[in-house]
Amino acid sequence: MGTPDSAATPLEVRGLVVRYGERTAVQDLSFQVRTGEIYGLLGSNGAGKSSTMKSVVGLLRPQSGSIRVLGFDPVTQGVEAKRLIGYVPETPLLFDALSAKEFLEFVASVRAIDAATANRRLENFAKAFQIEAELHQPIGLLSMGTRQKVLFMAALLHRPKLLVLDEPLHALDPRSVRIARELLRQHANSHAGGVLLSTHAMEVAERLCDRVGILDRGVLRGEGTIAELRGSASASLEEAFLKLTREEEGVREAVLSLGVD
Amino acid sequence: MSPTWKEAYRLHVVAFTELAYQAIYAVRQGNLPPTLAAGSLARKARRRVLQSKLLVSLLLAFITIGTGVVLGTTAKTFLAPALAAPLYDETVIAGLLLLDVAFLWWTGLQVLPSYLSSQVLPTLDALPVPDRSVSRAAFLLFLRLFDLPALTVIAVTPIVVGRALGSAWAGLAIIPGAVSAVVFGLALSLATGKFFLRHVQGATGGSRRGTVLRWAYLVLWTIPAFTMYGYVSLGPGLIGWMTSVTASGAGGALDGILATYPFPLASLPSLLLSGSVTVPDAGLGPIAIVVVGGAVYGSITWAAASWLLDAPGALARASAGGHAGVVTDRRLVPRSAPFAVIVKDLRIASRTPGFAFIILLPLLDAVAIGAWTVLAAPTASGAFNIASAAVATAALLATFFGPAFFAIEVMGYSYTRTLPLTERSLVLGKLSLVTTLYAVAAGTVLGIGLARLFEPLSFLGFILAEFPAVAAAALLELGLLVRVARRRGLPVTNLYSGSWWVMGVSIPGVLMAGVPLALFEIFRSVSVTTGLGVMAAVALAELAVAAPLALAGSSGRGA
Repeated sequence: MGTPDSAATPLEVRGLVVRYGERTAVQDLSFQVRTGEIYGLLGSNGAGKSSTMKSVVGLLRPQSGSIRVLGFDPVTQGVEAKRLIGYVPETPLLFDALSAKEFLEFVASVRAIDAATANRRLENFAKAFQIEAELHQPIGLLSMGTRQKVLFMAALLHRPKLLVLDEPLHALDPRSVRIARELLRQHANSHAGGVLLSTHAMEVAERLCDRVGILDRGVLRGEGTIAELRGSASASLEEAFLKLTREEEGVREAVLSLGVD
Repeated sequence: MSPTWKEAYRLHVVAFTELAYQAIYAVRQGNLPPTLAAGSLARKARRRVLQSKLLVSLLLAFITIGTGVVLGTTAKTFLAPALAAPLYDETVIAGLLLLDVAFLWWTGLQVLPSYLSSQVLPTLDALPVPDRSVSRAAFLLFLRLFDLPALTVIAVTPIVVGRALGSAWAGLAIIPGAVSAVVFGLALSLATGKFFLRHVQGATGGSRRGTVLRWAYLVLWTIPAFTMYGYVSLGPGLIGWMTSVTASGAGGALDGILATYPFPLASLPSLLLSGSVTVPDAGLGPIAIVVVGGAVYGSITWAAASWLLDAPGALARASAGGHAGVVTDRRLVPRSAPFAVIVKDLRIASRTPGFAFIILLPLLDAVAIGAWTVLAAPTASGAFNIASAAVATAALLATFFGPAFFAIEVMGYSYTRTLPLTERSLVLGKLSLVTTLYAVAAGTVLGIGLARLFEPLSFLGFILAEFPAVAAAALLELGLLVRVARRRGLPVTNLYSGSWWVMGVSIPGVLMAGVPLALFEIFRSVSVTTGLGVMAAVALAELAVAAPLALAGSSGRGA
């Protein structure tokens, strides 16, 4: 079993390329998630965010480029890298036939978390997310938001060095969004790790991310802190986003074409 | 064609591609499709569904043609020389029709999760299309999953029966029976599917009583599979019983059989050919029973077919109506990774009939034959033969269905692949499940048959000698499947996606488990000890070869 390189950054992506047949989803993408940082990948639908996330957690095998999770390659050192990652996928598709508790027990077993720690964390998370009553329900019967909460719990159960969250807040209720935001902030600050999250909600990025990468059709168009991106483009992050992704003109035309006949 | 059916047909053509795509790649069950262009993914999915339907159809055709051989005069002379020809023909044809019902029912249970999880209906419901058109589209979609198998039953049965009985009219007379078998098979799979949604899939976890109840329901689900098994193993017994009933003149029992489904419909060819359904001088009573029974079952078939028009839509819209039970214990009990895989699989199987069936079949087989050992064997050495046959069957069943345990991984597949679960843990977990199944089944036979067994220590030796072969077979199968899944990025899933691979991998596995059994049969003529010695040596050699092949390099590789 390898040990993580404590000097290495939580995540380093270099020259990543992901293709689906003829279509290129991610083109020569490079970025870093630093220790204690929440890094946001911002992009429209189909910009390549999820493909990047899936490559980081070892679900997709990229055509070229390199990914290092605290020095480990998710393709060739999958088990070592996965031990350090907590993942919340965009769509909470799990074992529908298991109850939430049975699923979390499976995750705790595979991640070799001792019973006392696992139960303490489960108790805290269940209370915070108010899902004590749903723990024995089959996952297939849970609402989208509750599934998302279960995934959050599963991702945080082992206190990962790198949290990878694909559109993590879209199905949560306002109370849970607030708790999740605080959890992510605390996690980044206290566990000497990093957080990579993808979103197309500007508000989420503005409130949560230390740095943001703007992805457009698989290409990184801009990167920096929220202030840097605003400063280099214009007043709001939304405007900066539209300018960098060259969608400003298109948006204006679309709005005009949708006007009342 | 009415506008409703026209619209339904148009909708179903589009929706079927989505259904095929979901059935093969199980995206809504948590899998990631291979990185291919959308068009080629859809084409591949449609092709694989077609291949699977062809496979099921070929199997049905094979069974029907086999029955045609049994229907011939030569087989009758050998199997039931004293039984009246009409009764013999009716019994064989009724067995075939029951088998068709059971096979379609069982296939339906396998396919139903793909149909329900595809979520095609909620998508169609959102369109500005009348409900009736959507319901009809759902019916066509469900039918489309069974079109080739259903057509095979309806087309091949009359040809085979007509040819075997030497009359085209006899062949035509079995068409109502074949149609009713198809309708009943599909209706049963939908009706039990509804039941499954409410009581099995929708059942909450947390209590021992709930778990026991779920497994009890699942035992009921194995009944169709046992019909197939019963056809092969109990068919000759039934014919023998019919012979003795006829000889003893027990008319009441015979009338009861004639009134039972599917005898009235299976009797129509005999009635048409000879004007009799039992013996020549039986009078009009049996004929009246067959005619009235035929009319009753015909009406039920009609009613079931009408119900089928709306049932697929209603089922796809119904949510699993589970209700929260009393939460008894919320504590997590983390285990070692291979053990966690076993517990997860058993829990999933307790809410998934397809997987429960795989676990229950060898066990129920062992119990059934074990009980038979005690009750029926005339001598102690006869009991040894029956018991060893039961253990051999359990070994072969466990290894034949072993690869299907890998199919459980299709659920939540992409999420599991983000966990640090090694291939070794996964394979060892599944291996433990297969070998435990064998051990429990064999132990059950030993327990039940202990009173009648000749030299129980020799029998224990037989069970232990086969154990390494079962482990070797399971390792070989699982090792190959892990490699296939890794290379193709495809979960080896249900009947409609990975059947070719699962069957392909099962063949060397079953051979591996079967070779020591065959060698025991050969060498026991020298002495039982020699037979057991050869069996154990070969089984251990197989394990020594299979284990490194299956586990090499798997400890550090993610599952």
